[in-house]
Amino acid sequence: MGYDGGKINMSILSRENSERLFWLGRYSERVYTGLRSLELDLSAGDKAKNLCFDEANPETISYSLARAYDNAIVLRDEIGTETFSYIQMAVYEMKNAQRSGTPLMPLQKVIDNIAAFWGMADDIIEDEHARGIIKLGKRIERVDLYSRMNSGSEEIRREIRRLTYRIAKTGLRYDAERVKRLNELAKETNINRQEIIKEVESLINFEEI
Amino acid sequence: MMALAEELHEYSGGVNELLARYGVKFGIYKNGEFHEQLFPFDIIPRVISSEEFAYLERGLKQRVFALNEFIRDIYSDGKIISDGVIAEEFIYSGKGYLAQCREISPPKNVYAHISGIDLVQAKNRTCYILEDNLRIPSGASYPMIARELCRKSLPSELLGKYKVADNRNYAELLRRTMDYVNTGGISVILTPGRFNAAYFEHSYLAELTGAHLVTCDDLIVEGENLYFIDYSGKKEKVGAVYRRISDEYLDPVNFERQSLIGIPHIFDIYKKGNVALINAPGNGVADDKGIYYFVPAMIKYYLNEEPILQNAPTYLPYYEQDMKYVLEHFDDLVLKDVAEAGGYGVVFGNKLTRSQKEEFIAMIKAEPRRFIAQEVIDFQDLDIYEGNSRVPRKADLRAFVLMSDEPVVWKSGLTRFSRNPDSFIVNSSQGGGFKDTWVMTEEK
Amino acid sequence: MQLNFAEPVREHHFKLRCFPSSDERQKISNEHIKIFPVHFSNVEKDSFGNLCIYGTANQRHNLFAVNVDGEAEINSDGKIPAAPNKIGLFKYETDLTRAGLSLREFHSNFETMSYMTGYERAIYMMNELYQEYFYTPGVTGIFTSAEEAFSLGRGVCQDYAHILLALCRLERIPCRYVAGMIPGEGATHAWTEIFDAGTWRMIDPTHNKICDDSYIKISSGRDAQDCAINQGVFYGGGSQTQEIKVIVNEILPQS
Repeated sequence: MGYDGGKINMSILSRENSERLFWLGRYSERVYTGLRSLELDLSAGDKAKNLCFDEANPETISYSLARAYDNAIVLRDEIGTETFSYIQMAVYEMKNAQRSGTPLMPLQKVIDNIAAFWGMADDIIEDEHARGIIKLGKRIERVDLYSRMNSGSEEIRREIRRLTYRIAKTGLRYDAERVKRLNELAKETNINRQEIIKEVESLINFEEI
Repeated sequence: MMALAEELHEYSGGVNELLARYGVKFGIYKNGEFHEQLFPFDIIPRVISSEEFAYLERGLKQRVFALNEFIRDIYSDGKIISDGVIAEEFIYSGKGYLAQCREISPPKNVYAHISGIDLVQAKNRTCYILEDNLRIPSGASYPMIARELCRKSLPSELLGKYKVADNRNYAELLRRTMDYVNTGGISVILTPGRFNAAYFEHSYLAELTGAHLVTCDDLIVEGENLYFIDYSGKKEKVGAVYRRISDEYLDPVNFERQSLIGIPHIFDIYKKGNVALINAPGNGVADDKGIYYFVPAMIKYYLNEEPILQNAPTYLPYYEQDMKYVLEHFDDLVLKDVAEAGGYGVVFGNKLTRSQKEEFIAMIKAEPRRFIAQEVIDFQDLDIYEGNSRVPRKADLRAFVLMSDEPVVWKSGLTRFSRNPDSFIVNSSQGGGFKDTWVMTEEK
Repeated sequence: MQLNFAEPVREHHFKLRCFPSSDERQKISNEHIKIFPVHFSNVEKDSFGNLCIYGTANQRHNLFAVNVDGEAEINSDGKIPAAPNKIGLFKYETDLTRAGLSLREFHSNFETMSYMTGYERAIYMMNELYQEYFYTPGVTGIFTSAEEAFSLGRGVCQDYAHILLALCRLERIPCRYVAGMIPGEGATHAWTEIFDAGTWRMIDPTHNKICDDSYIKISSGRDAQDCAINQGVFYGGGSQTQEIKVIVNEILPQS
């Protein structure tokens, strides 16, 4: 039984599903890091709430979570029902947070569920490529987000190192020159965030579905 | 059984919470918009004794065997017509007959790989067959996952008290059915996509059987074979397609030409015997509501046996004698349009106003072939919980028969119940819910 | 046959049904088939026994062409054997051969002559139709039903055939649509086959006559849709035009 902690056995992966895995990785990371940075300001009121919950606005966390769900729901047989369930629960908690007068508790549960989702994905998905593609999505998103959010240079350097390690293991076609260039950018004393964003966004040529 | 219901009730919330957690939903279109809905689950199971099940099992095997033989006959020699058992008009002017399927032998001569046979139990405990679903019967995944989640949330000593046949072998039976007809290559489950009512089931069955869940875009015919294209462009031969997509959308070169989905040429290579399609195209000829009338005669004709399970008493206005009966007993009957499904096109004679009734009778007289009439069966209601109170509801049972080297009746089934106390319609698309079906392994 | 696309198409999947094959009546020899462009193609018989070629043309193309040439030898009484248990479906109307009010009314004026066989009855109805219906190209299209075509009062060979089939099917006379060729230059022709005592016999309602040895059959089915010369799907294309050119010359037997 796949959802009972069993292993999902995959030997082949369609192009569409490999793209979905990638975007599942990216959007789940966008929710996670987005929420962790938003946490403190949320008490500020409606404006912060809108940044969180407006599902029609691509800038919001609700939007990113809905896209993560869209990709996860069609990957049930690839990632397993148990792994999928954490995205499903994150969606329920997001709805709870939206209704709640004290949204921080349910939002913490969204974060918990995303973290559990990653753990479960790592544990259950046997196919190295599939697992690697989710992680790659997450790594790319993180470099991108950290660069946009003005995180410290050390943090960005660390994330670029993790990305470099990950991308080689996915079996996907990528632009090796750009990875090299990204690592050169990481060495500069004054990190050029705009350049890093540009390079990291062009690493993988995937259509968004 | 009272005790069982009460014992289970306190765990109902927990099981429903898990069903939500695992996304056990079905899709529905409202005003043109797609929504996902949880399928309401009632924790009181339908209980079938081992004795009752043995009887059902024999009857269902017999029925599916005859239906499979009927489809084979219709698309080859048509003996049942030339021997005068079934009027040919019911075959050739019905929507279910696909002329493209003439003279095709599917792998291992299996047409009805997965049959969903709908039954009801009358107050006198007699079981009646309501409908045969031989195209794409859905629903097995729901009792299967419900059982799994009950095992998670109920104390083991409670479940241990009841000797219930494990129903989680459905995936294994399905796998065996796919493997049996596989012509060489991988097995896949073909889904029309996420916006299909039964998408949960497609993805869940793919997960449990290990068959790949694919959409039409993932498959391609080259030369004489069907291939799955993986993300690196590598081709993998496909030997069996459990398709959850209806005949007319399967192949735009051979069926519906305007269709934007489908796999061009899949039907051509199926004809050559190079891939198994599960269930076989053209099965609609056997699950037409008009053909249903003839199933008992079919059983006698092909098997030379008396039918074990009975049809609900049915009349075909096409026959003069039946027409007379229908007009005389209109108010006692339920009328069904043979072309409709999913609980639509069903009319209760006594619910019509006088003018509606006249209009309807005129319609029957104009197109007698289009309707069947059935006695309204006095259903044995099943209890469900509404909050903390137990209330009776109409319920049916969809039994699943899977064909490999022999037909196997799954020791469970989907029990659906109607939402409203006065409704006879149990379809999920019309607000109904479901129960698990327990088949006992020994008598208490 | 040639398909012209205004914009290039790719992943063009086709199923062609334009190849006369030998049967009890006609003998086909020296048949040469050229299809261009093509990635793969295979031969099969459809469920009506018609010879088909299906395949795919992957590369981008503006032009898709099929050339068939060969020789047909016909010297027969015009009867093709038919198994009685395989003809039931040809008694029933299809979407294209469904009689509506106007065809039913036309039919109700026919004399009832119960001594006639189905075949004789069909010839009688063909005569009646010929008096009422006029050959005019450009009024109807390939998806025009018998009822529509009859209401218009004018049409082409496909419409004559569909109307006669609709009339025969009102009387449950087994009958088939036939696509084929007749001597001369032009498009494909269409006529009908009527079941008669274990055989199919060809009659041509457009010319109000029994088909002779100059009729070369390509395919048969319940209606024109079963005999579609080309069924295809593809990406791209914009507007498309289909050209069909048939040339039939008589080769006199060498003495």
